[in-house]
Amino acid sequence: MNVLVINCGSSSIKYQLYRMETEEVLSKGLVERIGSDRSIVHHTVNGREPWVETAEILDHRQGLYQVLALLTDPEKGVLEDAGDVDAVGHRVVHGGENFSSAVVIDQEVLRGIRQNVDLAPLHNPPNLSGIDAARHNLPHATHVAVFDTAFHQTMPDYAYMYPLPRVLYQKHRIRRYGFHGTSHQYVAERAAEFLGRPPEELKIISCHIGNGASCTAIEKGRSVDTTMGMTPLEGLMMGTRCGDIDPAIVPYVMGKEELTLAEVNSMMNKHSGLLGVSGISSDMREISEAAFNGDKYARLSLEMYTYRLRKAIGSYAAVMDGVDVLIFTAGVGENASLVREWTCRNLSYLGLELDQEKNADLPKGPQRISTDRSRVNVLVIPTDEELMIARETRRLVQQEEQG
Amino acid sequence: MSDFQHIVVYGGGTMGQGIAELLSKKGFEVTVIEKTRALANQARHHIELSLNKQLSKWGITQAEKKIILSRIDFTNEDTVLERADLVIETVTEDLQEKKKVFDRCDRFCPMDAILSSNTSTLSLTELAAVTRRPQRVIGLHFLHPITRLDLVEVVRGLKTEEETVRRIRQFLEKLHLTAIEVHESPGFVTTRLIVILINEALYTLMEGVATPEDIDTAMIRGYQFPYGPLEMADRFGLDSVLASMERLFREYGDPKFRPAPLLKKMVWAGQLGVKTGEGFFRYDEDGDRLREDVR
Repeated sequence: MNVLVINCGSSSIKYQLYRMETEEVLSKGLVERIGSDRSIVHHTVNGREPWVETAEILDHRQGLYQVLALLTDPEKGVLEDAGDVDAVGHRVVHGGENFSSAVVIDQEVLRGIRQNVDLAPLHNPPNLSGIDAARHNLPHATHVAVFDTAFHQTMPDYAYMYPLPRVLYQKHRIRRYGFHGTSHQYVAERAAEFLGRPPEELKIISCHIGNGASCTAIEKGRSVDTTMGMTPLEGLMMGTRCGDIDPAIVPYVMGKEELTLAEVNSMMNKHSGLLGVSGISSDMREISEAAFNGDKYARLSLEMYTYRLRKAIGSYAAVMDGVDVLIFTAGVGENASLVREWTCRNLSYLGLELDQEKNADLPKGPQRISTDRSRVNVLVIPTDEELMIARETRRLVQQEEQG
Repeated sequence: MSDFQHIVVYGGGTMGQGIAELLSKKGFEVTVIEKTRALANQARHHIELSLNKQLSKWGITQAEKKIILSRIDFTNEDTVLERADLVIETVTEDLQEKKKVFDRCDRFCPMDAILSSNTSTLSLTELAAVTRRPQRVIGLHFLHPITRLDLVEVVRGLKTEEETVRRIRQFLEKLHLTAIEVHESPGFVTTRLIVILINEALYTLMEGVATPEDIDTAMIRGYQFPYGPLEMADRFGLDSVLASMERLFREYGDPKFRPAPLLKKMVWAGQLGVKTGEGFFRYDEDGDRLREDVR
């Protein structure tokens, strides 16, 4: 079974083609600057030179047509015919309260995604364009939507409600949804597998820290709380996002600095976090290097970053009455040993003990970085959202075939 | 994205700069045409200054600034019109000047291109008459400052086609701008109403009824105006206000549009408002009110 995974932005399509029997990536690539006469297509097939071409691509339908042309090209491609794509897995950012797992796309599902456009005005519309493009170009295939929010739909009401007038929830569905769900679910499953224990027995805290960052409490394989809220701005300090702040700062700063709503929004999303505090960069490698070289504010930003993450971990240990597994994943989580080390300081009350050597020198793949004595298994697990989407897609296709 | 791929902004003054910046921010590729290479460079410089100001207010990022600038071309060559599918003309508010530009655009642009003007008082029908395509001539009156105000008056000339209006409305929707449709008439809605308010504020000041500060405060606090009428006049430029009033006075022949003598006096004295640093109030180079003046 060949599954095409696609992730659409307003002017881009990222794609990855899997052969599911081996879970091998046959090809992957990216279409950029859709809507202009100088769109760029990057296309890679394992073991061959990457292919880049410029073309006029005015919408997502044309973009995907171009992708399929490359995938079936006798020289640059890997398939004989577009009919060889059996199913398409679509990443959809916001499923709201409509979706608590991946679903096969039909009219009803499309309506549901449209209903959540208000909650993700930048993301859901291009996701819908991607679905339209794929259904148009691959009418024979099964199309599956995998939502970033779905995994967190198991949160109890006392975790997802905000202490605001309840009418806001009823009128505008203002509540916490959480994001990175596909990644948290993937690494939690991988962790259970790695430890050879059923997920039902485990209390897991997973830290997905990359450009965006969120931390999730997973009990019996289900998300019970997560740090991101109605939008991906809540929670941890991130590369350029501020995460939790006193909400009263917003009107105060707007008054003092004469900012518009758009400016204050941009300030919190793009000029804050590591970048805002350090004044250097949003990139953890550059921050660590600067801190190492004695830059005061780089060090401060790093301390704040790990302090805030540690607070989240502590609160989730409290929420679940303990923790068996702590997972680090995504760009920073998988690569920044310093961040893992600083975050794990002062967690000895949980019986957590980091193996400094293992943490510092990490081979590829899932690894345990806690000591044998440690009561908490600290794991580094590379995330793979595309593979998770492909697996969910396969699962639903097989279910359909059987049902 | 839109059926317009090659948009030309004809005229790189304040309005042209604002429109080019707005279009680029929304992902469109734009070409700005100015009379000379030097003026074209100046337009680019001013857009960069405007972006720097937004950067300092956290409104955009360094990367976004680069991308926005990279989508705008600046030139003094009319030949780019050959590829244009939409022209937005923003040259000085003078009928003869604008007629020349429309004639040139009509000769260079493909026949199916739409020609639009940012005029606030002139007749679209008159501009359309110099072209071979009056059905595809339309008014697009953006308000200043464009990056903060999302209103556009879409003005129909006598022969403007329904299809032209539809395409333009669709385009404005993509830009998340609010469009109001007006039929050609001097001053449309915005200018016609606001100059009356400004003029009456001037008479109120001349008659010694209240100080400039208090006149503005009355409208800001009492009627939730973002600026009072006098500061508004300073921001438009007192010469522009005078020109608009004189034009409306001529067109309607109604004394209610007769400019207040004080307005003329200040223009003669060269106190034109923000652009000269002094009008009814005083301003710094960025156009911010000077501290000692602020209530």
